Amino acid sequence: MASQREVRTRIASFKNIEKITRAMEAVSAARLRRAEQRIAALRPYADAVRRMTRQAARDAGSEIKRVPLLATREPQQRVAILLITADRGLAGAFNSQIVRAGTQLASELEAQQREAVWYASGRRGVSSLTFRGRDLSGAYTGFTDRPAYTDARQIAGELITAFLDGAVDRAEIIYNAYISPLTQRATRETLLPASAAALTGADRDEDEPGEERSARRGNAEYEPEADELLRELVPHYVEVSIYRALLESAASEHGARMTAMRSATENAGELIDDLTLEMNRARQAEITQEILEVVAGAGSLV
Amino acid sequence: MAHTKFACEVLTPEGEVFNDEVEMVSTRTTLGLIAILANHAPVLARLEPTELRIYRSENDILRLAQAEGFMQMSDNRALLLLEQVSEIDALDRGELERAREAAQSASEAAPEGSEEATRATRELRRAEAFLRILDAS
Repeated sequence: MASQREVRTRIASFKNIEKITRAMEAVSAARLRRAEQRIAALRPYADAVRRMTRQAARDAGSEIKRVPLLATREPQQRVAILLITADRGLAGAFNSQIVRAGTQLASELEAQQREAVWYASGRRGVSSLTFRGRDLSGAYTGFTDRPAYTDARQIAGELITAFLDGAVDRAEIIYNAYISPLTQRATRETLLPASAAALTGADRDEDEPGEERSARRGNAEYEPEADELLRELVPHYVEVSIYRALLESAASEHGARMTAMRSATENAGELIDDLTLEMNRARQAEITQEILEVVAGAGSLV
Repeated sequence: MAHTKFACEVLTPEGEVFNDEVEMVSTRTTLGLIAILANHAPVLARLEPTELRIYRSENDILRLAQAEGFMQMSDNRALLLLEQVSEIDALDRGELERAREAAQSASEAAPEGSEEATRATRELRRAEAFLRILDAS
């Protein structure tokens, strides 16, 4: 059995860990609230961009086929995989589930004789991919817990360039969608070619009743022309999609870290209880031993 | 004479900037300056960096520095989507001049017609437009 002193040092160190993890939980909770507000702030803008793109797509008519970012290419030989991870760990399965989903997609592609082209945001994703010997076409770090719109614009710009140059034929994004502070879901979406179906589909258009929509069709002036404007709107739509993924990932990161730190705090508490019990037993044993020695000593004197 | 009012909403990815009844909005599209009054014909336009003026009334004018964006006027509602908006007082001349220099050299370094060149040109136009707003105010 460990000596009292040893056990006492271990209890002290677990108490320190408990304090640190509890503080980290509180910090993550505060950051999570801000991240949630930023998601809510983006929503009206993102919805409006989608509505405008949809309207321009409708009025551009057959010209829509000539917008390169909307054109599906066959065969899709090279597929870009953009992983959205965090700069820091200590967040449970947050980073590993993204890397796992990415490598799974890559092996599916390789089984079909296709090639994965890697892009990653967040130090964790970048270093896991480098460790696995994958070449990165784009690595973006230093902003994952507080992404700015310009970060999304940079990533979108590079992916769009790669798509237009023919370096990739399709681009997929894998990120942790924010469901609730306790739940993050690894989600995969196609960024490029921007899905014409998602843009032109009439579903999910709750705030635009049918009659109003048909009345509006084709009677707007365009500056520049509808197809020209669509060419500008689609890249913007891609930027906004990436920005939304970055914001959701940031909120998910704080949520995951909060949960991870809470269970770490609970575990530390349990260990402290166990060790305290052990220490009391050790002390009791020592006292019993001393009493026995005193009694034995006294017995020998009689 | 007081003008008829209409709804005007200015949104950025960071959130809502303005949402109120206004008499007139003046901004710049790819084709040039445009002023929107109530009952303007439906329009969908690409916006260029410029000084955005929102006239709540003749004497109550909100002036903002707008980056690139899009505008939609329909059903007597003006909706402006802007990548970035700042108060004119918040613009920093030194910072804008540095951004202009950086964009200038980036656009010279980038191959002609490339995506980088387009991006650098856009940065350059934004910095120049914001500097012009500062010069005018």
